[in-house]
Amino acid sequence: MSRSVRVAVALHEEGANIGLHRFALFTACCTAFLIFVGGLVTSTQSGLSVPDWPTTYGSNMFTFPFSKWVGGIFYEHSHRLVASFVGSLTVILAFWTWVAEKRQGVRWLAVAALGAVVAQGVLGGLTVMLLLPTSISMAHACLAQTFFCLVIAMALLTSPRWKQGLPIAFSTKTSRSSITLPLLTAVTTGAIYIQLLLGALMRHTDSGLAIRDFPLSFGRIIPHFTTSHIAIHFSHRVGALLVSVMIVWTFLTVRNEYRKNTLLRRPATVLFSLLWLQLMLGAWTVWSEKAVLITTAHVATGALVLGTSVLLMLRAWVMVPVPLREAAWR
Amino acid sequence: MRKLSLLVCSLMLLLLAACGGNSNNEIPPLPAGGGATAGGEAPPAATASIMGKISFEGAVPKPAKLQTGADSNCKKELFSEDTKVKDGGLANVIIYVSGGDLAGKTYAPPSTSVEIEQIDCHYIPHAFVIQVGQELSVKNGDPTLHNIHTVGDVNPQWNVGQPVKDMVNKHTFDKEEVLLPVKCDVHGWMKAFIAVVSNPFATVSAEGGAYELKLPAGKFEITAIHEKYGKQTVMVEVKDGDKTMKNFSFKASDAKSGN
Repeated sequence: MSRSVRVAVALHEEGANIGLHRFALFTACCTAFLIFVGGLVTSTQSGLSVPDWPTTYGSNMFTFPFSKWVGGIFYEHSHRLVASFVGSLTVILAFWTWVAEKRQGVRWLAVAALGAVVAQGVLGGLTVMLLLPTSISMAHACLAQTFFCLVIAMALLTSPRWKQGLPIAFSTKTSRSSITLPLLTAVTTGAIYIQLLLGALMRHTDSGLAIRDFPLSFGRIIPHFTTSHIAIHFSHRVGALLVSVMIVWTFLTVRNEYRKNTLLRRPATVLFSLLWLQLMLGAWTVWSEKAVLITTAHVATGALVLGTSVLLMLRAWVMVPVPLREAAWR
Repeated sequence: MRKLSLLVCSLMLLLLAACGGNSNNEIPPLPAGGGATAGGEAPPAATASIMGKISFEGAVPKPAKLQTGADSNCKKELFSEDTKVKDGGLANVIIYVSGGDLAGKTYAPPSTSVEIEQIDCHYIPHAFVIQVGQELSVKNGDPTLHNIHTVGDVNPQWNVGQPVKDMVNKHTFDKEEVLLPVKCDVHGWMKAFIAVVSNPFATVSAEGGAYELKLPAGKFEITAIHEKYGKQTVMVEVKDGDKTMKNFSFKASDAKSGN
C-alpha cells in the first residue's frame, strides 16, 4: 500500500471515529433528555394514561395523532417517542461501533448499551401492562441510569483525547490520602447509584411527601418510623448526606492532589456544583409539595450527578497510577 | 458500510412493524382483575328501612375549581365533588350493611349492570354501590380519550382505554372493597369512588344528605363512609315494616389531608 493510500485510510478512519464520538455524545445528551421526560411521566402520574403497549389507544404509536396528545397522554406518549428515538440511536451506535471500532472492550460496551436499551424498552412496556408494579417501575428507573452511564462511557471512550492516551496524573502531595482517587471515585459513584435506587423507591412507593418538613423530619432530627413510607423517605435523606460527604471528599482530593490536571479538576468541580444544585432541588421538592418541574429537575440532576461521577471515575482509573491495575480501555 | 445501512434500515422497519397497531381503534384486552361471578343464595326481601340525613358539621369548604385546560374537549367548568353539601346535608356518603345478621354471607349478584358514564370529563355518578360479581358498565360519553383505572387494594387494578366516543367497557369485582377509587390518568382531576359490597343492602346519600336504606328484618351493623370524612358505624335492629330514623353526622375537622 502506497504512503498516500495509507494516509487516506488513516484520515478516513480518523473522520469516522470523530463522527462516532460525536454520535455517542449526541446519544448521551438525548438520554439525559429522555430521563427528564420519563421523570415528567412519574411526576404527573401519567404512567397509565396510555393503557396499551406498544400501541397507543390501539393505534400505531408513531402515527398517533398529535391532536389526541391530551392531559397525561402528552407526557406518556412523548416519553415513548423519545425512548424510541434513543433506542434507534443506540442501535445505530452499536452497529457503527462494532464496524468502526477496533478495541474489543468498546465494541462489547456498545453491545451492552444495546442490550440495556432493549431491556429498558421491555421493562417500560411491562410497567404499563402490569399496571406499575413497584419492582418493575424501580427496575425501569434504575436501568435508565445504568444505560445513561453506558452511553457516557461510550462517548468518553470514543473521544480522540482518550484514544490518544490520557496523561498520567501524579499527586502533587507527598503524603497522599489513605484512599487512592480511583477507588474513591468508584465508591462515590456506587454511593450515588444506591442513592438513585432509593430515590426511585421513594417515587414509586409514593413516599415523596411522607415527611413534609425539611431539614427536620416532623420537627425532629430522626422521625418516628410509624410507616414504611417514612422509613423509605428518611433513608433517601440519609443517603443524600452520605453522598454529599463522598462527593465533597472526592472534590477535595482532586483539588488538593491534582489541582493542575484539568481533565480531573473540571469534572470534579462540575460534580461538586451539581451536588449543591441537587440538594437545593431536593429540599425544594419537599417545600413545593412535589411541584412537577422541580421534582423532575431533581430526577434529571440526579442522573447528571451520576454521569459526571462515572466520567471522573473512568478518567481517574486510567490517569492515576495504581499498582496492579490494567488500563484496559486505553 | 452499505451492508450496515441495510441492516439498520431493516431493524428500523421491524421496530415500526412491532409497534404498529390495528386500524379500527379496537384495543386488545388488557390484564384485568376480577371477572369471576360470585355465587351465593338469593338475598332476603327488604321489608324494612332505615332513613335519615347525613349532616355536615363545621365550615363547608368552598368547592375548588378544577383545572381542566389540559384537554380542549373538556370545556365545562367543573368543581371538586369531595365535599358536596347542601342545606347542611352531605352527599356521596355510602351507607351499607357491614355486619350483623348478614355477616359472612354472600348473595348472588343482580343481573342488571351498574353504569358509570364520563361526560364533560367528569364521572357520573361520583360515588356508587356495586355488588361483588355484578357487572360494571363504563361508557365514554366524550369526544376525547379516557382511561378508566380502578385503584383497589383488595381487587386487582383495572385499566382500559376508551379512545372512541360512546365506547363501553364492562368489568366485575370479585372481592368486597369499600371504598375503591376510580381515576382517569389522562385527566388527573377525574375521580370517582365505588363501594363493592357483598350484599344488596347499600345506598348513597343524595344531594342534601338524605338517604333511605332498605333492609330485611334483623340486627345489622350499618356503616356510613365518605371519601374524605371517614366512616361511622352503628348497630340497628329492625322488624318487618319498620321505618327507622337514623341520622349520621360528619365533621369538617375529620377531613383527610391530600397526598
